[in-house]
Amino acid sequence: MKSEVVIVGGGSSGLAIAYYLANMGVTNVVVVEKHYLGSGSTFRCATGIRASFTTEEHIVLQKHSIELWREWSKKLGFFYERGGYVWLLRTEEQLKAFKEYSKLHNSYGVPTKIIGPEEIKELVPTINLNGVIGALFDPLAGKADPFGVVHSLASACRRMGVRIYTLTTVKKIVVAGSKVKGVETDKGFIESRVVVLASGYGTRELAKTAGVDIPLENVPHHSIITEKFKPLFKPLVIDWTTGAYIVQTHEGNFLMGVDIEEKPGTPLTPRIDFIPTVVKIWYRYFKWLPDVYILRSWSGYYVMSPDRHPILGPIDEVENLYIAAGYSGHGFMMSPIVGKLLAEWIVEGKPGIPQAERLTLRRIREGKLIFERAVVG
Amino acid sequence: MGKGVKNKHPIIVCRCEDVTLEDIEKVIEEGFTDLESIKRKLRIGMGPCQGRTCIPLLVRILARRLGKKPEELLIPPTRPPIVPLPVKLFLGGRGHEE
Repeated sequence: MKSEVVIVGGGSSGLAIAYYLANMGVTNVVVVEKHYLGSGSTFRCATGIRASFTTEEHIVLQKHSIELWREWSKKLGFFYERGGYVWLLRTEEQLKAFKEYSKLHNSYGVPTKIIGPEEIKELVPTINLNGVIGALFDPLAGKADPFGVVHSLASACRRMGVRIYTLTTVKKIVVAGSKVKGVETDKGFIESRVVVLASGYGTRELAKTAGVDIPLENVPHHSIITEKFKPLFKPLVIDWTTGAYIVQTHEGNFLMGVDIEEKPGTPLTPRIDFIPTVVKIWYRYFKWLPDVYILRSWSGYYVMSPDRHPILGPIDEVENLYIAAGYSGHGFMMSPIVGKLLAEWIVEGKPGIPQAERLTLRRIREGKLIFERAVVG
Repeated sequence: MGKGVKNKHPIIVCRCEDVTLEDIEKVIEEGFTDLESIKRKLRIGMGPCQGRTCIPLLVRILARRLGKKPEELLIPPTRPPIVPLPVKLFLGGRGHEE
């Protein structure tokens, strides 16, 4: 088989890249997914979307992404809502740090603000503030339905002629000289001018077959979901002290998570100690929680880069090999902008947002790390 | 969702999420032919029973449609706690964090 661009990974990132390539007039785009669409990190994520980060790169990219999220949801027709994020703060020190973050957000056009207890209670009815002195409110933030996103993107891609192959595993990248030639899959060779790796931690394994070392680590993170209730609150709420989050999905279930100690590379297996850890944190805030039933728990990887920013764009030593991975827990929310930037890189030779050029693998090799502090869950 | 098969009462496959046989046949026709995607598309098996009643039925319906054996389909993993449990069981004592 012959193609112009092969994208490895049928999650929200890979499909977004295919979507923008096809939109920009690239024909013969192929997406290869080893299991079913969305089966990697996309369908395991907490569904949140925000621009309230702590670095220029993340804030600027995510501001663009949020604009695209609205455009996508209208055009493609999936659930997306700007219900905001509420970052609960318990100490003066936290409040001071978030006042600074808010100034940074505002300087890039992200209208976050510090709010007091009364406003928190309005946004999050039934909350028991129990030591919270204030919060950062990010009104542009929100959530989307990953299943709707993946399948509406896939349908749009197919309508534009993109070919999508599921249950197909890429075994190696084929390189001749210093140029990409295609990928070897378990169902045969796909010749291609360009190869894009948007395959989570698999990106590291596959890049090795082209002699490229991409420093990524896969760290398991866990979530639980409760039975459904009528809508109670719209924002995703974060307890900054513990890094825990709670959000009510559009179906009505409450989804919760918190970081627990896990070694990179640990297989995705349930951890019985996770459930008590997360529910104890949220019981502190919601006195109705004890009588709510937990339906299930699951886990997924945060694919961590050394500075908690994705690694995007071309690779110096292998021509026409591109990377989009290492989102460190933010891949779903970043997928619209990543799709657009990668398509621009491939078609026009450079991304439309200059900050994106600071996120290539080169920064890590040159030691120019940009550290993100606001990673939760 | 939940419109009946012609001239018959609706055949409910998933009681928790109110999914009928007709709903399932429709999404198979739309091209959803793996259990994981059908589960998420229809929310079948994602309610309080966590698929204990409906997933075995769905497996048989899909196997028959695709002309495969049930064991050839990729069965979705079971997510603990298996039976829905109230949060209070995990709080231990009064359950205060600090």
